[in-house]
Amino acid sequence: MAIFLSFTVIGLVAGCVYALIATGLVVTYNTTGIFNFAHGAIAMVGAYAFWQFWQGWGWPAPLALVMVVLVLAPLFGLFIERLLMRPLRGAPVDLTLVVTLGLLLFLVGLAQIIWDPSEVRNLPSFFNGDGKRIGYVLVTYHEVVAVAATVAIAIALRLLFNTTRTGIAMRAVVDNADLLAMAGGRPIRIQQLSWMLSSSIAALAGILLAPIARLDILLLTLLVVDGYAAAIIGRLRNLPLAVAGAMAIGLGQFYISGYANADWVKRVQYVIPMVVLFAVLILLPQDRLRTASFTGAVAPRVAGLKASLVWGLVLVAGTMLVSTGLSGPNLRTAANGFALALVLLSLLLLTGYGGMVSICQLTFVGLGSIAMGKVGGDGGSLLGVLAAIGLAAGAGFLLALPTLKMRGLYLALATFAFAAVFDQAVFTQIFGTGGNQTVARPNIPGIPTGSDQAFLVLCSVVFAAAAIGVLAFRRGSLGRRLVAVNDSPAACATLGVNVNRTKLVVFTASAAMCGLAGVLYGGVTKQVDANSFAALLSLVALLLARIGGINTATGVLLGAFTFALFPTFLPHLPDFLSNQFLLTGIAAVSVGRDPNGLGGRIAQGAEKLRELLGLDRKLVSVPVSSDDGTAAAVFLEEEGRLVSAGH
Amino acid sequence: MSAPATEFAAPAGTERRDPHAVVEVVDVSVNFGGIAALTDVRLSAREGQITGLIGPNGAGKTTLFNVITGLQEPTHGRVWFGDRDVSGLPPYKRARRGVARTFQRLEVFGSLTVFENVLAAAEFRRSWSNDDTPARTVAAEIIRRVGLSVVADARVDSLPTGLARLVELGRALATRPRLLLLDEVGSGLSHEETEALGDLMVDLTRDGTAILLVEHDVELVMRVCDRIFVLDFGRIIATGTPAQVQKDPAVQAAYLGAAPESRGGPS
Repeated sequence: MAIFLSFTVIGLVAGCVYALIATGLVVTYNTTGIFNFAHGAIAMVGAYAFWQFWQGWGWPAPLALVMVVLVLAPLFGLFIERLLMRPLRGAPVDLTLVVTLGLLLFLVGLAQIIWDPSEVRNLPSFFNGDGKRIGYVLVTYHEVVAVAATVAIAIALRLLFNTTRTGIAMRAVVDNADLLAMAGGRPIRIQQLSWMLSSSIAALAGILLAPIARLDILLLTLLVVDGYAAAIIGRLRNLPLAVAGAMAIGLGQFYISGYANADWVKRVQYVIPMVVLFAVLILLPQDRLRTASFTGAVAPRVAGLKASLVWGLVLVAGTMLVSTGLSGPNLRTAANGFALALVLLSLLLLTGYGGMVSICQLTFVGLGSIAMGKVGGDGGSLLGVLAAIGLAAGAGFLLALPTLKMRGLYLALATFAFAAVFDQAVFTQIFGTGGNQTVARPNIPGIPTGSDQAFLVLCSVVFAAAAIGVLAFRRGSLGRRLVAVNDSPAACATLGVNVNRTKLVVFTASAAMCGLAGVLYGGVTKQVDANSFAALLSLVALLLARIGGINTATGVLLGAFTFALFPTFLPHLPDFLSNQFLLTGIAAVSVGRDPNGLGGRIAQGAEKLRELLGLDRKLVSVPVSSDDGTAAAVFLEEEGRLVSAGH
Repeated sequence: MSAPATEFAAPAGTERRDPHAVVEVVDVSVNFGGIAALTDVRLSAREGQITGLIGPNGAGKTTLFNVITGLQEPTHGRVWFGDRDVSGLPPYKRARRGVARTFQRLEVFGSLTVFENVLAAAEFRRSWSNDDTPARTVAAEIIRRVGLSVVADARVDSLPTGLARLVELGRALATRPRLLLLDEVGSGLSHEETEALGDLMVDLTRDGTAILLVEHDVELVMRVCDRIFVLDFGRIIATGTPAQVQKDPAVQAAYLGAAPESRGGPS
C-alpha cells in the first residue's frame, strides 16, 4: 500500500508537469495555429536560468522564481513572437516545423555554450526537499507546489478562455485573425500575450521538473516532449482532456517503474509517453484527401541524366584528387560527410519530392549500422550490407503502414515519437548501457576499402550513384507520380492511383537509403553506440536538408558537408558561436525558410547564368483568357518551344 | 414534374432502376455534422449522353461528385457503376472502373508542366489497364484535342484558372473514362473557348462516353445536355430535357426565388 501510494504521488506530480507543458502548447496552438516544437527547450532554458539566479548568483529562491517565470520568460515569449512567429502567420505547417525545430536546436546550443554540459549542476527541490508524512508516504512541499501550481493555472486558463473578453478573442484569433481585426480585436496583441503566457508556463514546468528528473540539457528538452503526448490527447484544443491525459501518462509511467522488476520493463517507462503519442496519432481522425505540399516555392529544375552523370563523375574524381592530400582524421570527416549526405538524400526523396516529413531517419541509419555490424561480421561481408538495407527498409515499411494517412505536423510528431522510442529503449537495450558495436567496412572483392582514403572514395561513389539514381527516378514515370501525389492526393486518387501504396513504397525506399548510409556511417569510425543515433540528430538531419535545399542533390550535399566539416571550422570560430546545434538552429530559421535552401540559390544562379549566356531564349506574349477577362501571358521561348510562363 | 414519370421517377429502395445508366446514384444522403448537404438524391448518367446537373451555389453538386468518385462517404445510399455496386470502393478503384473528373477548386499538379500533367494521368492508366498505347502518344493527342498545345511546356501553377481547368479536363481524358464528371470546367473561358469546349463534349459522347456536367453557363448547358437534373438545398427538384426543365416552376422558383408553394414541384 505504501508503495502504491508513493508511486501515486510521484505519478501525479509527473502528470502535473506534463499537464503544464501540454497547457502551454495548447495555448499557443489555439491562438496562433503554430505547434511549438521548441516548447520543451524553453522549459529547459527556464530551469537553467532559475539555477543560475538561485544557485549560481545566490538570489533567494522566490525572487529568482519571479525573475525567471514572470519577467524573463514573458520577455522571451514577446521576443520570439516578434522575431519568429509573427512572420509565420498563415504559413504552411512545414515552415512552422522548420522554424520551431530550429529554435529548439538554437536553445539547446545556446544552453550548451552558457552552461557547459560537462560540469555537473544540481537544482535542489524547493524547501530543501522537506515535506510532510501523510500516513506512510512522504509528500514533499515541492510536490505540493507542483500540484497546486498546475491546478491554479488550469483553473485560471479555463476562466480566461471561457469568461473573459481577452480569452474569447484569443480563441477567435486562430479561426480568423483578419475577421477579428475587422471586428475591432487586436490579433497581434493577443498572439503576443499567448506567447508570453506559454513561455511562462513552460519555464515553470521546467523549474518544477528539473529537481525531480535531473538538470541536463538534452534530458529536459526531450522529457518535456513527453508532455506533447498529453497535448495530442486533448487534440491540441481541449485543455481538460489534455490534463486528464497528462495525469494518466504520469501515473502509468510510475506504476510501471514501481512494480516492474525486469530491467527492460523499467526502461519502458521512459517511452510510455511516446508510445501513447504514437497510438493517439494513429487513432486520431485525419483530414480527408486534400492538397498538401511541403515545398510551397517553385522547385529548381531537375538535373538531366547527362548533367547528373557529369556532376557525379566530377564529384568522385574531385574526391579522389583531394583525398591524396588529406590526413586520416580529415579523410574520415569527409567520409562522414558523404554518409550524412546520403541520409539527407533520403529526405530529398521523401520530403523534397514526396512531401512527407520524417524526424526518424537516424533511427533507420542506426538499424543499418547494427545490421552491418552483426551480420557483416569482422570481415564486412556484403551480406551485412544487404541486411542493413533490408532491416532499415523493413522498419520503414512497418512505420509507414500506420502513419500513411498522416501528414504535416502529425507525421512529424509520429516519426519523432518513433525515433525517441528507439533512442531511449531499443538502442540502449541493443548496445547495453554505455556499450557499443563494432562495424566493419564492407569488403568488396577486387576493390580496396580498408584504408581511410579508399573508404572515402567508396563513400563518394555510393553517394554519387544514389544521387544519380534519385534524380533519374524523379525524371521518370514514378517520380512524376510521386510529385503528383504530393501536389494533389485527391486528383491522383480519382485518376486511379493508389496513393497509400505510392507513399508506402517511397517511405520504404527512403528508409532503405538510410540503412545503406548506416553501413557507411559505421564504417567511418568502425564503431557505433546509442549516442550516434540520438533522436535529436534526426531533427538535425531534417533541418540540414532544409538549409542546404531539400529539393536538389547539390543542396543536400552542401547541407551535409557544412555540418560534417564543422569540427574543422571550430577552432576558427568565436566562442559564442562554437556550437553545432546553435549554428544549425540559426541557419534553419534564416536560410531554412526557403525550401530551396542554399542549393536552390545556386541552381537559380546557374539558371540566370545560362540565360545570360544563351541567346536563343526570348520573351513572347501569348493571348490567353483568365478570370478577369483576357490577359496576355508572357512565355520564355527556347528553340521555338515555350518553357515557362508568367502573367 | 413534367417529365414522363416512368422514365425518371423511381420508387424508394437502394436498387438501381435505370438500365441504361453508366452511373446511378441511389437515395444518397450526406450529412455534415447534422447539416444535410444531400437528401435522398437519385440520379443517373447514360452512355453517349451529356447529363446536366445544375442548381444554385451550395446546392450540393460538388458533394455529389465527391460521393460518386468516392472522396466523400455518403451517410446513406449507394452508388452503382453499370450493374456493379461500387459503394464500398476507394476512389482509385472507382477510377479504374472508368470514371474521371475535374475539380471546381483546382487540383492540378502545380509543379509539373501541362504536358506532364496529362502524361502522368496517361501513365497512371497504363499502370492499371491493359492498354499499352505509349503514354506520350496519348498525352500529345489529348493536349492537341483540348487546345493546350501552345502552353504544353508551361508549369501549371503559372497558368490562369481557365487554362488550368482545361488541364484538368485533359488529365481526366487521359484515363479514357467511360464516365466523365465535369465540375464547372467552362468557367474562366472566353465565349469562343466555351463554344469549342461544348463541341468537344459532344464529340466525346460520340465515342460512347457519358458526361455528367456541372455548369453555371446556362446557354452551354441548354445547348449540349440531353437530360438535366436540378439540385436545390441537397434535393433533386426537377429532371427532364432542357426544354422541360426550363419550363419547370420549381426550377424557376429555385433560381428566381418565386413563391414558396411551388418549391416542392409537382410530382
